[in-house]
Amino acid sequence: MDKLILRFVLWCSRILIRQGVDFERLKIIAETKILMDRRRVYMNWKPKQQKENSNRLTLTLATYSIFGFLIGTMIFTLDSLVLYMIFVHAYILFMMAMTMITDFSSVLLDTTDNQVILPRPVNSKTLFVARLVHILVYLLQFTIALALFPLLFIFIKFGILTGIASIATIVLTVAFAVFITYLLYALILRFSNEQKVNDIVGYFQIFMTVFFAVGFQLVPRLINLDQLSANFQLHWYSYFLPPVWMALTLDALHQFNFDPIHIIMMGCAVIIPAVTFWLMIKYLAPSFARKLAALNNNAPVKKDQPLISQSAKSISQKISGILCRSKTESGSFEMVWKITGRDKSFKMQFYPSLAYILVFIFIFVFKNGKDVQTLWSNLPSTRMFLFFIYMPMFSIAGSMAFITTNDNFQASFIYQSTPVAMPGYLISGALKAILVKFFILIYLVMFAFAAYIWGIAIIDDFIFGFFNNILLFLLITNLSDHYLPFSRQPNAKQQSGKFVKALLQMIIIGALVGLHYLVIQQYWLTACLIPLSIAGCYLLLKKIQQLNWLKISF
Amino acid sequence: MNIIQITSLKKQYNGNYVLKGIDLNIDAGQIVGYIGPNGAGKSTTIKILTGIIGDFEGDALVMGLDVRQNPVEIKQKIGYIPEQAALYDVLTPLEYLRFVGKLYQMEDAVIEKKSMDLLRLFDLSDKATTRMNGYSKGMKQKVLLISGLIHNPEIIFLDEPLSGLDANAVILVKEILAQLKQSGKTIFYSSHIMDVVEKISDRIIIIDKGEVIADGSFETLQNNAHAGSLENIFTSLTGGASQHQNTAGQFIDILNS
Repeated sequence: MDKLILRFVLWCSRILIRQGVDFERLKIIAETKILMDRRRVYMNWKPKQQKENSNRLTLTLATYSIFGFLIGTMIFTLDSLVLYMIFVHAYILFMMAMTMITDFSSVLLDTTDNQVILPRPVNSKTLFVARLVHILVYLLQFTIALALFPLLFIFIKFGILTGIASIATIVLTVAFAVFITYLLYALILRFSNEQKVNDIVGYFQIFMTVFFAVGFQLVPRLINLDQLSANFQLHWYSYFLPPVWMALTLDALHQFNFDPIHIIMMGCAVIIPAVTFWLMIKYLAPSFARKLAALNNNAPVKKDQPLISQSAKSISQKISGILCRSKTESGSFEMVWKITGRDKSFKMQFYPSLAYILVFIFIFVFKNGKDVQTLWSNLPSTRMFLFFIYMPMFSIAGSMAFITTNDNFQASFIYQSTPVAMPGYLISGALKAILVKFFILIYLVMFAFAAYIWGIAIIDDFIFGFFNNILLFLLITNLSDHYLPFSRQPNAKQQSGKFVKALLQMIIIGALVGLHYLVIQQYWLTACLIPLSIAGCYLLLKKIQQLNWLKISF
Repeated sequence: MNIIQITSLKKQYNGNYVLKGIDLNIDAGQIVGYIGPNGAGKSTTIKILTGIIGDFEGDALVMGLDVRQNPVEIKQKIGYIPEQAALYDVLTPLEYLRFVGKLYQMEDAVIEKKSMDLLRLFDLSDKATTRMNGYSKGMKQKVLLISGLIHNPEIIFLDEPLSGLDANAVILVKEILAQLKQSGKTIFYSSHIMDVVEKISDRIIIIDKGEVIADGSFETLQNNAHAGSLENIFTSLTGGASQHQNTAGQFIDILNS
């Protein structure tokens, strides 16, 4: 599809520009850049298999259009044209800005052009137009993917005229999204250096990944909810939101209603994106390019950092002093603690899985969202809080797979070149770090929520569940292959024979949760089982610590 | 006393022998330059001697200890600095050195003091608490050098340690190696940079295709090969200078066509 769009954009540019542009070179530059787009790794797509020719862009676009389809189907549950249009335009504005920020940043902030293209015989106008063509092709691809289904539904339900007007408002929305992106980048660059920009972009990427993970679970369910048919009220602040301008413009055209409010909104819809776009091209983009050029030439500003005093200990150092016996273990504990807080690919994999905890609790407890009110009032008499107790462990246990891999996996030579007699301590240190850093916190949140619904009396179940969770976690790690932290290449081949192990794990988890379910009523029994669970944890931890080199997989 | 003893050392990967029987005895307190073309088996030898690869044929003793039997004891007393700047670069140098120091079972306070002092000597003290993912290759290499020396090892294995370092750092590292030798340490040094090897090594071992093809001091090699610099000796032994000339000539011809 990108080739078709490129041909279209090139054809337009040929008509619009007559002088000073070398179209042969323009074409080859734009083609190369689009080819690189296709090869780029897209934010949330950690390729499952490393296939050279896999077209990740197509995959991303397909995801976007499916999402667009889900949003688009709202048209059949919403009666109000205004409300639907607000949804669609807000969705496009949000997705476009997010995509530009998270994904296109690598293109916008890329300064390799200066080294690759500038030394070649290409005149500056050609290069400028080539960049423009590239950005246009990129935007068009995503706009089409996002808006295809919503537009289709608009044409079907509201007729051709509104449909055509929607195309115009969507284009204006995209223009506004581009402006927002540029504004954000300019702001970030104004106040910080390149490293910061990459960090901030990283956080947006994590946010997007979580958004997708949750969105795909929740949006289809929300569509079924009846509450959404509620009437739309215009508050004073609505007038500042671009999707509202667009929606009211379309409303005016659809109903031929041109009262003052609609006229003002139409004005906003057309004039503000146009003006901001003009401002961007005139002022923002050139200053942006200047800043970017400066980024590459100047070394980042040197800060005078005070030499760290002996007493300044980080949290991980304090905790590892309490929890870890051997030096090897505490070294691993601190390293895993720190790297999990900084490594982007870990966060991108792990945080969405945390979001899934909430999604699945929502799904299990509230089923399909039918009759939430009665379900909610009946909750205290059920034993649903078991979901709150045991759900977190699925994500936590899954994180073990993420902490064994790292882009810098070669650095794991250090385990072999240093005198590590008992590699089991490296693993147990990592386990403790995960448990303390992530599990305890999440578990406390779960407890707070459950205590709000069921009352403080369930505390004994949560204490029992706490140790059971750790027991399960240690059991699962004991049963899995043992890898040292951050020692494997990402996307390494999975071992076969996993099914039996997975089945065994499921049976053990089921048995333990079932046992807990049975003893809920007997407080004394729960109390008796707690020491048993603790003893189990202790034994399993010892077993992991005693692992020798022969038991470690690479 | 021979601090390193290798007897008919062989190593195969899937039936391909990368080391085809190497015999070496190395005296304590020497700088040994270990050179050879890519794929000659340099890194493999070093990985066997440092106890990283335990699966090989023949015998290897380091400080009288068998590398198969006592890898942990050996690792405590040796330092290893690998070829790529392979380290966990989301950590700061201090955090990384702390981690490595703990693996060497060092005391926290000692690690912290030594790391800070050594980083200062490498002009990295102002960046000691900055994460290394913004570092240049040379800066990472400096941290890697410190991480291999921080526990004051008896033998130091270096695999291409100068890559990415600037001219001043190269001179500094050369001087550090020379002074380490003065204090009685043994240095096993693998590199492509011939003139450095030529200048600092007491003994030069050239291997090719898994076999030792030359061994001796620079002067000995010079006399045997009747060639000037180590580079000339190396090409005459491993590839033949005429072949390189030939290839270069063809290269120019194609450019001209």
